Amino acid sequence: MSDKDDIETEVITEATSILENENCEPTKNFESVDQSAKSESKSEPVASTRKRPESKPSSDLETSDVLPVQTSQAAGKETVSKDVPQTGWGYWGSWGKSLLSSASATVATVGQGISNVIEKAETSLGIPSPSEISSEVQYATGETNAKENENSSPMSGPFGVFSTISTAVQSTGKSVISGGLDALEFIGKKTMDVIAEGDPGFKRTKGLMNRTSTLSQVLREAKEKEELWTTNEVTMETDKKTHYGLLFDEFQGLSHLEALEMLSRESEIKVKSILNSLSGEELETLKCELEQLKEAFSLAEFCEEEEEEKKGDEDFTKEITEVFSQLHVSSKPEKLTRARNTACEWIRTSLAKPLEEKEEGKKQLEAEEIEQINNNSIEDIHAFAIRSLAELTACSIELFHKTAALVLHGRKQEVTAIERSRALSQMTVVLCKELSSLSKEFTTCLTTAGVKEKADVLNPLITAVFLEASNSASYIQDAFQLLLPVLEISLIENKSELPEA
Amino acid sequence: MAYAYLFKYIIIGDTGVGKSCLLLQFTDKRFQPVHDLTIGVEFGARMITIDGKQIKLQIWDTAGQESFRSITRSYYRGAAGALLVYDITRRDTFNHLTTWLEDARQHSNSNMVIMLIGNKSDLESRREVKKEEGEAFAREHGLIFMETSAKTASNVEEAFINTAKEIYEKIQEGVFDINNEANGIKIGPQHAATNATHAGSQGGQQAGGGCC
Repeated sequence: MSDKDDIETEVITEATSILENENCEPTKNFESVDQSAKSESKSEPVASTRKRPESKPSSDLETSDVLPVQTSQAAGKETVSKDVPQTGWGYWGSWGKSLLSSASATVATVGQGISNVIEKAETSLGIPSPSEISSEVQYATGETNAKENENSSPMSGPFGVFSTISTAVQSTGKSVISGGLDALEFIGKKTMDVIAEGDPGFKRTKGLMNRTSTLSQVLREAKEKEELWTTNEVTMETDKKTHYGLLFDEFQGLSHLEALEMLSRESEIKVKSILNSLSGEELETLKCELEQLKEAFSLAEFCEEEEEEKKGDEDFTKEITEVFSQLHVSSKPEKLTRARNTACEWIRTSLAKPLEEKEEGKKQLEAEEIEQINNNSIEDIHAFAIRSLAELTACSIELFHKTAALVLHGRKQEVTAIERSRALSQMTVVLCKELSSLSKEFTTCLTTAGVKEKADVLNPLITAVFLEASNSASYIQDAFQLLLPVLEISLIENKSELPEA
Repeated sequence: MAYAYLFKYIIIGDTGVGKSCLLLQFTDKRFQPVHDLTIGVEFGARMITIDGKQIKLQIWDTAGQESFRSITRSYYRGAAGALLVYDITRRDTFNHLTTWLEDARQHSNSNMVIMLIGNKSDLESRREVKKEEGEAFAREHGLIFMETSAKTASNVEEAFINTAKEIYEKIQEGVFDINNEANGIKIGPQHAATNATHAGSQGGQQAGGGCC
């Protein structure tokens, strides 16, 4: 009982103290307390359940180079909740940055490190299981929810726990719009705090977190929660349109992910048993080769090229097609590029509006089109953004799954497994970059369309887009990692006619 | 959107027997004479109603090519139902049934409901496998049997739905452990939700998040 109260107060206090850190005027503090309390009650508890999944328990991940940070982060509850503002901030900040501004550079290394940190922190902190967070949040917000249900906006973004944070972000008075990255840094860092502090009975839940869940499990649970939510609340059609999990499933992302996991798991078993059957020099050579493969999976292009000015639309299509062709598998990423181009087209027309308005008196048709675009409310934009992110992520994962199937299928190879790994990691980079740039464009649309909106209406939508974009990038990176065992077995099988396990 | 149960199906059988066409006919109600070869597996989903309950079928349409065989086996796991398809105009596809069946039985759970389907029943003039032969094979191996045409849609609905009915009955009989996802059955979120409102109409099943 009092536990639940603690959550709220602690969260609020935390938000306030952060504000103080940020040197805001004291008057604003009170406002922020108010706001965060309000928005918490409006938030949808369901969506909060989708946390970033911990990565597979493979041991090689744990030895990655961010280990020192992990340990300091994971050292204990106190460290995370109190010391993070100093020590951890920069780190989480770089996470946000890596995903949003230069996903390219850091994808494999930092991306992986992060999942490690989270994993470590989760296990050591005993963060509650998704369902528990959800029920706790639900419980905590339940009462106010009931009262405010009628007035609550049907558009509240899908980010339960995060809404607290986002309100905190809003109330700092910082421009979230121009500083979307700040929002993410904030979220990254604050999530740790909120989650850590919001779980007083962490020892009780500790055991739960030790279960390793797969990526698709996490996503599936999220989707189910969203389904449950939509059934329970008899929400309007529009509301469903913004549930990332449901949409991701609709685009068969979940199925492809599950299938990819199956192939990955099976390959992993095969690799292990082959390694077990070898000894001596043979084993050493193979181990060495597999090590090289792993490297290709962890060093995704660390060349921090400062975001070149927005590249043309065709460039992504060209780039991804080119990289994909290096895989030498008999399929093309057409579905993905189509989905992406549709999204870009939509953004373009949406943004073209203000310009077109200036040169008045165009053709009637165009005028009508503009009229229509004018009707794109920020809710429409938000819904379309979430939908596009879900679709692109689903397509990306489908692409990875098909690649896995084709790699396992093909006997004769014109390219080595290592070359393929490099191409795949390049692909991951390109995909994450694209998601990041799309999310920026979507938020530009939002800010343009929402100039007249109040910050507490607009900002959560913007945060939601950034959040789902960063989640999407994480899913893609995790899916990419699932390909490692597949390429390992392909390397082994291609190398010699080893007796199959 | 909301469903009481979700069943996972797999569609298996030789290449070119019409697996993807059956799926397309079932999910989209259309026929596409020329179909790309399936790579690995494709997916379809549709909601059906059995006994007043919404059931979501999640269908895994596997590649039929021999060379994909070792991969598609990986997908069998956790299927509640299987459609084993042959082409009535090609005897070899019928002759391969035993291999398919062994494969399916070996790589999936023993309670999986298998529906044997003789497809392309619209091509009567080119028939090579008599209906009776299909029936006999099904009887011998404990399968349900049906002849379908993905082109004319004849029996397509029935094939998918009858399989689901059989699974549903097995659930009622308690053959399937619905809480074990390896059986290819999941209780929908709605079920957990309606438990709260119409309390106890379907007692005993309180799946959902909570306890684990």
